[in-house]
This record gives sequence, structure tokens and C-alpha cells, in this order.
Amino acid sequence: MEFDPGLFIGLFARTFTFWWVILPAIFLGLIVGAIPGFSAANTIIILLPLTLAMDPEVGLIFMVALYASSRMGAGIPAILVNIPGTAGAAATPLDGYPMTKQGRGQQALAISFVSSVFGGLLATVITLLAMPWLSQVAYYLFSVEMIVVMLFGISLIATIAARDTLKGLIAGFFGLMIGYIGADVVYETPRGTFGFLELYDKVPLIPALVGLFAVSEAFAVIENQSILSERGKAAMQKAGWSETLEGVRIALSKWWHITWTSLIGLVIGVVPGAGAAIAAFVAYQQSRTFSKTPELYGTGHVEGLIAPESANNGVTSGTLVPLLVIGIPGGATAAIMLVVLQYHGVTMGPDLFMESPELAYGPFAAMAVTYFIMIFTILPLARYMSQITVVSTIYMSPIIISFTLVGAFVPRQYMFDMYLALVFGVIGYIARKTGYHTAAILIGVILGPLLETYFLRALKMSEGDLMVIFSSTLANVLWVALAASLVLPYLIQRRRRLRRGQEAAAGGTTE
Amino acid sequence: MSEFKLHPTRRGFMKGSTAAAGLGALTLSPFGPAFAAKFPSRNIKVYVPTREGGGADRNLRAFTSIWKNYLGVNFQASFYPGAAGRVGYEKYMGIAKPDCYELLFGNMGPEVLNWVVKKPTFDLNAMFYFGQMDRDPGIIFVGRKSKFKHIDEIVAEGKKRTMNVGVSRLAHPATLGVLALGRHTGARFNVIPLSGGKNTRAGVATGEMDFGALPSGGIARRGKNFRILAIFDNVNPIPDKIKNAVLVNKHFGMDLPPLIAGARAFGIKRAAVDKYPDRFKILTDTMNKVYGDPAYWEVLKKTKVPMALFTKSSSQAEIEKYVKDITAIGEKYKDLLTGKT
Repeated sequence: MEFDPGLFIGLFARTFTFWWVILPAIFLGLIVGAIPGFSAANTIIILLPLTLAMDPEVGLIFMVALYASSRMGAGIPAILVNIPGTAGAAATPLDGYPMTKQGRGQQALAISFVSSVFGGLLATVITLLAMPWLSQVAYYLFSVEMIVVMLFGISLIATIAARDTLKGLIAGFFGLMIGYIGADVVYETPRGTFGFLELYDKVPLIPALVGLFAVSEAFAVIENQSILSERGKAAMQKAGWSETLEGVRIALSKWWHITWTSLIGLVIGVVPGAGAAIAAFVAYQQSRTFSKTPELYGTGHVEGLIAPESANNGVTSGTLVPLLVIGIPGGATAAIMLVVLQYHGVTMGPDLFMESPELAYGPFAAMAVTYFIMIFTILPLARYMSQITVVSTIYMSPIIISFTLVGAFVPRQYMFDMYLALVFGVIGYIARKTGYHTAAILIGVILGPLLETYFLRALKMSEGDLMVIFSSTLANVLWVALAASLVLPYLIQRRRRLRRGQEAAAGGTTE
Repeated sequence: MSEFKLHPTRRGFMKGSTAAAGLGALTLSPFGPAFAAKFPSRNIKVYVPTREGGGADRNLRAFTSIWKNYLGVNFQASFYPGAAGRVGYEKYMGIAKPDCYELLFGNMGPEVLNWVVKKPTFDLNAMFYFGQMDRDPGIIFVGRKSKFKHIDEIVAEGKKRTMNVGVSRLAHPATLGVLALGRHTGARFNVIPLSGGKNTRAGVATGEMDFGALPSGGIARRGKNFRILAIFDNVNPIPDKIKNAVLVNKHFGMDLPPLIAGARAFGIKRAAVDKYPDRFKILTDTMNKVYGDPAYWEVLKKTKVPMALFTKSSSQAEIEKYVKDITAIGEKYKDLLTGKT
């Protein structure tokens, strides 16, 4: 796995010649990513007869392009209509959708596209250059360390609760309780399933996601004529190509933000099973922690949109690292890719880099080329996509509800999941009307089961010793970082308030 | 639950895309027209109690890609993962019609053990297995970087400290083997269920687990990443792939039955066979032809799983004996599987 510039240049040049595969895969990926319930994984499964019939290299390029573009596609409905296409885009509407409501949907899309492309591109290039070291990450982040990583994401609940402590915490714990429904990971004992077999495998994420965000939004927006505010409508009427260019400019000016949040995604992506949702929430939480204007998060703040989008695209190349280096897929899509590659007789592992470097490094070259092509194909569409927000809610609400119910059905094809999405929609609607934050509930639903899995695993390994959570040096460092990220913003805010108070007092004295 | 239609071969795809939709399945099969008027006249649905992408998915695709040629219809797999297979079985027994058009495809060992640990809501005698595809024994394995080179070193270490063992799930023949070995030797083995083979391999490869226990096939074909140290069977089924492993019974003087951890087979409702014995006969007759079809073995070769692990025929008596043995040993070690000791 040594760096060979000649090999990489040749690989990139060769990958560009497959533009005829990449281009349709991009459009397909954007579409399936944008439809809730569909994902790169289930699309690749549906297209297995096609990919199995392809040459392995072409098949791999097709799958990688579809994977990367679907990740970006999931952000589009999250921003425009508050429907995250996948769990990985669940943090995107926190600031993306408020931007749309303000009539800045086109700008938000452009920011999202640029963040996704540059975040994904950067993570891919770093993966290529640092593969030997990155592959080691999985050897250090074990269950104990992952507990703390999960808590970084879950601590977002506390951040949300900062606005209304009691309601925020109630919503968060309610979400965590929902997340623990299903069979436990050790003895497979069903808990809180109310006798529904469909809940034995945990509360399915997509129905929860689309219910809490999209269905409840559809219920809420029907009360108004448009999802746009009055100011938003005026802004939309004036919007032209300049909005897209302004979005690009804003995103590029935040290059450092894109860089470090995509690296969070990359590192979390390398850990098998961690996934884009945790990366997006951790990046959002960290972004807010280090921001000079944390109070703006959740109101349509640019950095709150950049962080999850660049992080979830950073995950994309990360999940391929364990697949290629130790033959263990980092996520569902990578697992399906493994099936296809095995069918063609490709054996994963360190030897692949020596025996077939074009197959070992090929996915990363394909990903980089995909991102490169994607930015030119999708940016011009931002203006047209954003027009969906001017559609009257009389039409928009039923469309959202029908689309999302189909989306809820697709992953498992249970009618039960459609009813579940409606139940979550009602819960979300009540939460909105009573001042509880749906995002806090969702964080609990998504991250609760993961936290429980790592926690129970660590406890079982230590034979019930709770102190296991402080048993490793790396975990302890992460604990300190977690404590600091929770306490520091409070201290900084306090210091700023004090300084402002002193300045005001000094100003008053001068006058 | 998600579904796929089983068309895994290049030829299958080409045919499917060029032939007229209605005629394709019948005209392309030499046996299709003969059976089309009787049974089966429509696709056969298969309930799979695990996720896509695992061993059951792989084997089912391979088998049905040939079987469909003899039956003249396609197979439609539906995946119902959850609660160690319980969801898939309960769904099958709850909603499948007893007409031989709806089958189940599972891994007998873990799933039979699951019922030992937790009784199902349906009568276990209301279904039975047929058409076993593989016979893959449970093994003990370590990662490439592990310091353990022999099972004796693991047992010795287990007598000094509690060792963490990655397993797919608690109710699993390979897990049972590890627990029985620990009880026999006095070594302390703490089994950690990691929810599937993929996660178990990851746990062992990264060193979080001291060692792991799984079926042999998935580990043997990744020989460069792992070392197999012990086999829970009375013979080494793949001596060319597993070179320095011991047979647990022989090495430690134990009398465990063969702990076949990968024993995938089809399942069917007894009521379907009672009601339509002629249909079941068509199923088993055509299934037997698959075992003898060279094209089937070509498909299996592509899976990279050692060929010796696939059965060359299926014996109903052997299946019944296997289910009985696994149930008996499950009952014997039930306390260990349920964490009650």
C-alpha cells in the first residue's frame, strides 16, 4: 500500500474514460438518494443482475458513483421540504430547512452541493494518501471508545435542551426510549414491542425519520399557504442564478469548516458499523461547539448545514477502507459491493493492493471522479430544484405524505411501517405544537440503539464492571474532549456575556 | 423485509432483457412447459430469516439460479431479519399459505437452537426442513496478528484470565462449542454476541476479541486474514484450507456431536406437504437434479466458499438426526446459552 504517483495518475485518467458509466450512475444516485426509503444499498440490490453482468471494474465504478451521488441526493429533500432521504441526512434539515423557509433554498442547495463535493473529494484524496494509517483506526476504536463517540452525537440533545431544558431533555429521553424498543443485542429478548413482530428488529429508522420530520411537517404546513415565510416568498421571487453563485462563494469561504468536518466523517466511516448518521450528528455538534455564534444554529446557519453534509460525504470513502483492507464492509452499501466483487472472484484484503491495484484503489479514483463530475452536473440544477418550495401547500402536503409513506414502506416492505410513519408523524406534529424538538427525539431514536449496542457489549466484555468505560487511554482522552465540548461553550458564552455587560457598563459610564 | 428476484447469472440477465416478459421464464427452460400447466405455475416465494448479503442469501441465490431452470418459474426471496431469525420464522408460519408456493430458507443449527432457548409461538412440528445445501462445521479462529498459534495456548490463557470470544449470536452451534470447551477444560470463555458473521470477523480482525467462533467457510476463504485453530467436527472437511487446526473432540477427549454451524436448508409447512404431496414431490425431484447439475457447481465455485462444504445430495434422515442432535445439546447447555450460570 505504498504511494505511487504514476499509478494514481494513470488510475484517474483511466477512470475518466468511464464517464459513460459514471454519469447515469450519478443521476440514478441523486434520484434514489432523494427518495426516502430508497438508498444506494437497496438500489444496488435491485440492480444486481446488471452489476453482476458487468465487468468487475465497470461494475465497481458504477456502484461507487451511485453510492457517492445518493449520499448527496439525500440532502436535497432534507433542505427543501424537511425530508431527509436517509438517516445520514437527518442532521441536514436542522439548518438547511430554515434557510429554505427564508427563501434561501437555492443558496442552501448550492452550499450543500459544494460542501458535499469538496468534503467527499477531500476525504477520498486523504484516504488514498493515508490508507495504511486510516486502516489502523478500526484497531483502536473499540466498543468502549465508540460509547464516547456516540455520546458526542447524543450530547446534541443537551445542546437543543439548552433552549428549553425540560422539554429538550424530555424529547431526547423519549427518543432514546423509542430507540431501545426491540430485541436486545445479547440475549435477543424482545422489549417494548407491544407484541408487534415488526418491532423485534428495532424501530425501523426510515419510518421514524420521515414520520417525525416529513409527515409532521406536512401536517404543519397545511395550516399555511406556503412553506415559505412572507420574506421568503419575496426572496424567492427575486432569486436568480446569483443565488447559486452566492451559495458557492459562501461554501468556498468556509473551506476550513468543510475540511475538518469531512475528516470527522472519514474517521467515523472507517469504523465498521458506525455510519453516516453518527458522523453527521457528531460533526454538527462539534461545529456548534467551536462556533463563535452557536446561538444561530438551528435558525438557518450556514455552518450548521455545511457540517453534516461534508461529514456524511466524508463517511463514503471511509466505509470502503475496512472493506478493501480487511475484507469487512464498513456499511450496508459496502456489504452489497462485497457480494458483487466476490461473485467475480475478487478477494478482499491487503493482497488486493499488490495483486490488483486498479481494483483496490479504483473505488477511490471512481469516487473522486464522481464528485468532480457531479459538481458540474448538479450545481446548475439548484435553481430549478428550489422552485419546488413555491408550490402551494395544498398540493405539497399530500405529495409529501404519499411520497414519504411509500418511502417508509420500501426498505422492509411492511405495511406496518407506513402506519408507523403516520404514528411518528402525529408524535412529531404534537411535539412541534407543544414546543418539543423533533430533532431531539430523532437523535435518540437513531443513536440510542447504537449506544446501547456498544454499551452492552463493553459491559459483557468486562463481566458487568461499569468502570470499563474508563478502561482505555483513548477512551479517557475522548471523555475529556466530550466534557470539554459540553462545558467550554457554556463558559465561553458566560465570558462573552460578562464582557458585553462590562462594555455596556463602561459605555454607560462614559456617556 | 426486502425482496429480490433471483437472476444472478450473466446468461440469465441477457435472456431476461431480450426475451418477451411473459415467455421468458417458460421458453428458456427445458423443463418449464412440462410443469407450467400443473405445478408450479407462478413464482415461488422464499422467506429468509436473515439480512441480505449473508451466507443464506449467497447460498439461496446459487441454488435457485439453477433450480428455477428445472421448475420453469422464478424464485422471489423476501428477507425478514430480526431476533436471531425469530421474525422470519414467525412470519412464515403466520402468513405463508400451505400450498408449496411459499418456502423458507434458513440456517438450521442456530435457528433450531433459538427455539431451544425461547419457544416460538407456533408448533415446531408444523414445519420441517428439506434440501440441505451445506455442512459447514463451527470453528475457533484468531486474527492474523494474534499471538495465539495453537488452541492449547488459548485454553492455557483462558485458565489464567477470562477471554472474550466474538460469536455471531448466543444460540449458535459454534458458540455452544466454545462454551462446552470452556466447561470441559476449565478455561474461562466470555462469549460476546456481535450480531452476525461480518461483525464477528471485524471484532476478531481488529483484536477487540481474543478469538472468535463461526462456521468455517467464511473464515477459510479469508485465509490470509485469519487462522483457524480448532474444528467442532470429527473430520476436517477442508484439509487443504485448514492446515493446522485440531479436532476438538479428538484433541480434548470430548464427545460433542458435530457442531455444524452452517447447515442451510429449505423449510416448508407440514400442512402444505400433506395437502399437496404431488407438488412437494416435484420440488424434491427437481431439487435433486440441481445437485447433479454441473452448472450448479460452477455457480458455487464463484462464491469462493470451499466446495467440500457443500452437500452433494440431501438426506432427509440426516437432516432429522441433525435437528435432533442440536436440540439435545442445546437443552444440555441451555443454562450457558441463556446466561443463567
